[in-house]
Amino acid sequence: MFENQSKENEAILTRLAPGPLSRRKVLIGGGVGALAVLAAACGSDDEDTASSGDPTTTAEEPSESESESESESESESESESEGASGDLAVAQLAASLEVLAVGTYGAALDAAGSGALGEVPPAVATFVTTAMEHHQAHLDAWNEVLVAADMEEVTDPPEDLKAMVDEEFGKVKDVVGAAQLALLLEQTAAATYLAAIPELMDEAAIGLASSIHPIDMQHAAVLLFVLGEYPVPDTFAQTDMAYSA
Amino acid sequence: MLSIDDGKLKELIVESKDLQADALRDTHSTMADLREIGAARKGRPVDLDRIKAYNTSRRDLLKKGGFGFGGLAARGLLGGAFGSALFGIVAKPASAQADVDIQILNTASSIENLAIATYGAALTLDFIQANATVTAFATTTMEQHTEHSKAFNAQAVALGGMEQTETNTKYQSVVDETLPTLTDALKVAEFAAVLETVATQTYVANMSLFEDKESKTIMASVMGVEAQHLATLRAVAALLSNDLGELVVIPTDVAALPDVAGSVAFPQPFEGTEMASPPEEGAVK
Repeated sequence: MFENQSKENEAILTRLAPGPLSRRKVLIGGGVGALAVLAAACGSDDEDTASSGDPTTTAEEPSESESESESESESESESESEGASGDLAVAQLAASLEVLAVGTYGAALDAAGSGALGEVPPAVATFVTTAMEHHQAHLDAWNEVLVAADMEEVTDPPEDLKAMVDEEFGKVKDVVGAAQLALLLEQTAAATYLAAIPELMDEAAIGLASSIHPIDMQHAAVLLFVLGEYPVPDTFAQTDMAYSA
Repeated sequence: MLSIDDGKLKELIVESKDLQADALRDTHSTMADLREIGAARKGRPVDLDRIKAYNTSRRDLLKKGGFGFGGLAARGLLGGAFGSALFGIVAKPASAQADVDIQILNTASSIENLAIATYGAALTLDFIQANATVTAFATTTMEQHTEHSKAFNAQAVALGGMEQTETNTKYQSVVDETLPTLTDALKVAEFAAVLETVATQTYVANMSLFEDKESKTIMASVMGVEAQHLATLRAVAALLSNDLGELVVIPTDVAALPDVAGSVAFPQPFEGTEMASPPEEGAVK
């Protein structure tokens, strides 16, 4: 019954996410000052690393002459600035997805409470409550990073994704439908974190995203089990469903 | 200044292309970039600051007694020789002996190899064979760990290192001590969950240690899958411990699942690193 769910989810996301998350797509605002604040807030040692001159942490392209050193150095600074922007942009994107997850699980709880989903099994009710709490914790963590970087907390979900979720939620009539929608959200979040992790520059940001991705994957595993599917369908986690702003 | 020997680079590309094609068919790595990174990184010194930071982080976690140990203690798994051995292993610091990225990849393969061997041993047990769903899970999980080990080994070679074909020596001794005590499916699930926790948390910790982006991408794609193995094992263990083994089937009777089945698979909102193996633990000497 649910064997095509993942493909259906991918098709929905394909409409909304024209390509995988990339550094270019997440570059917004920030700058060196923001990097410093983010690093300080997260206890990063990026400043030490950057000042050490260690070639393993800076330029990827070898310079051919002394005259190119200066421009390479400028390029390194620019690259670090982009890293700051990128990390904070990822924080904003992640937070917005977490807002959507919290809101959707909350709506599911409301619907369950009103009887709109029919009889709700105890395990499903516990799942929804637990997953919502987890996503709230994730949201709080990303917003802490943003506030520490003098940026505003994220309180809104991505508009396009929310519109799609709202449309799908309107069709939900039972627990199975709610679980399918929750699976879509969890797979999207997990894929987005997976795509973001290699792009992040700040160690604390990498650590935070890396500590969240496995939890979203676990949420998805339990939802797959509830939906009658194998809980670990992929040998390697995929980024196909990653959301990009 | 870095220089790249084009001839050797081409040799490296040809030599490791077959390995990568087999192991990374699902990840679709960008091979040319990967080889360039591997050639450029070969022979680089270890970043001592990163190892220092890693050890500091580990000490802090051990002082605080992280969730992993608390969870194990609550289930009585830290009380015996197994617990003592496990704590001693986790408490070992990282050292600077070779390129950290290659060490990390070797250690990951050693953990994967251990998982393969352990699931293989579990599959020979009568009470495991008696449950078709558990058998299918163990078989599939063993196959997935095999692919993970291949991927890590291929990447280690691409970075100029060697394949790790042995099991993790320190955890192998734990497995050797524990296997004879696994007398029912619940104990097997709980023990397998410990190994999956070690794998998951090791990979979480490694995400901020890697210098090489491709290595990070590969390990990140494995990290979440190990977390799903762990979640499944936790759920199975919860059902078995509540005498609900009949619900360990796909599809299951969702209405009959106890409420704990909705939360036991993910006891915390953030994955920890308390049981992470240090980079050098499974490095090829």
